Amino acid sequence: MEGVKEYGAYEVFVQRTHQDAHVHVGSLLASDVSMAILLARENFLRRDEAVSLWVVPRTAVASVGGEDVDFFAREFDRSYREVSGYADNALRWKEFKSRALSLDEVIEDVRKP
Amino acid sequence: MMDLKSNRTGVRGAHGQSADVDSQVETKEAEQMEAFMRRIEAGDKIESTDWMPLEYRLLLLRLIHMHGISEIMGAYPEKEWVPKAPTLARKLSLLAKVQDEVGHGQLLLRVAEDLAEPIGGNRDSLMTDVFTGKVKFHNVFHMDAPTWADAGIIGWLVDGAAIITQTALLDGSYAPYTRVLRRVCAEESFHMQHGESIILTLAEGTKTQRQMLQDALNRWWPSLLFFFGPKEISSPVEKMMKYKIRQRTNEELRQKFLNRYVPRIHAVGLTIPDSSLHRDADGLWHYQEPDWEYFSMMVRENVGPKSAERIHLRQAAHEGQAWARQVAL
Ligand SMILES: [Fe+2]
Ligand SMILES: [Fe+2]
Repeated sequence: MEGVKEYGAYEVFVQRTHQDAHVHVGSLLASDVSMAILLARENFLRRDEAVSLWVVPRTAVASVGGEDVDFFAREFDRSYREVSGYADNALRWKEFKSRALSLDEVIEDVRKP
Repeated sequence: MMDLKSNRTGVRGAHGQSADVDSQVETKEAEQMEAFMRRIEAGDKIESTDWMPLEYRLLLLRLIHMHGISEIMGAYPEKEWVPKAPTLARKLSLLAKVQDEVGHGQLLLRVAEDLAEPIGGNRDSLMTDVFTGKVKFHNVFHMDAPTWADAGIIGWLVDGAAIITQTALLDGSYAPYTRVLRRVCAEESFHMQHGESIILTLAEGTKTQRQMLQDALNRWWPSLLFFFGPKEISSPVEKMMKYKIRQRTNEELRQKFLNRYVPRIHAVGLTIPDSSLHRDADGLWHYQEPDWEYFSMMVRENVGPKSAERIHLRQAAHEGQAWARQVAL
């Protein structure tokens, strides 16, 4: 029916700090966007701190998953894309009486004045 | 967006408004500016939809645009080595790295687009600016990579230098940039290992392999020092520090690079092509300065050994794929 409001599902995303991405926390039923925002605050932010909240009508979410396992299939070993795929570097540096560098070490060093 | 408009007309004081309206606009703007600086000083993070002074927007846009385009142009020297990589495993990891760099470019250009949109920029102009020389890219990506050892030195030291400059931006005031940088840095940690793995193999290898590595280091050393930028604190850097977009000077970062890498370069038996290089009693590195004018001109005028060739390739790719972007609409 035209003009009659209906309750619909909204997906809720919360951003904890400005340096984090928005994270999906759940969904709720609401009559419109402003009700969804109000309910999201009551449902999901009673304790947790946040800097931003998104509500998205479920109908606006395009998704892939569930039974479509092929989409996520890993046909090949992908360890060459991971730090862990180069674990032998550490031993090899040792041979040269030095050690492998880690990202955390660099971050910490750059933060130091 | 409205705010930006009032900002610009306020600065120019135009559009036939009475002096009264003008001064009202200026007062409002001064108040907004003050509130903005209070936020910056309090360590607040700014989002793309927040009010920001035009100067802040333009500083960020210039920085992130250049960063994004450099990621894309940075894929070219390494992409040249994908077909020639010595083993299948090396080919896979180099290809993965090239794919990451182009991905970094995409993420960064998206952040730049949101900054450019209110002042009339879009993805296409951000992309094509590199053909006309309106946007520059880092000196290191103008250089030739003639041997496999160059691919190793790029992964190890160029990425190493880039990781240092990028981690120095992680705590910046513009939140969308810092979120992208977090992801970029996480992927860079694989690039770091990939580069080390290549140079370790060469360093463990035959005399010829070790010499090839030494020659590559000799080729790249001055470019690496230049990469961090001039010693003096330029006016854009000073402004970026005022706005807490970055908190470290070029020289501080170059020193950190030398701290981390000089001992490792020596450890693998390489000689740094600078006999004056040493660390003083205060822990400060002294080094033979790169030819500032030579490299600045290379970046400014796109006159490095590979500048024209790579820009041409980029343009051919962009224009050659225009039809594909069109049919997707
Ligand atoms: Fe990158
Ligand atoms: Fe990288």
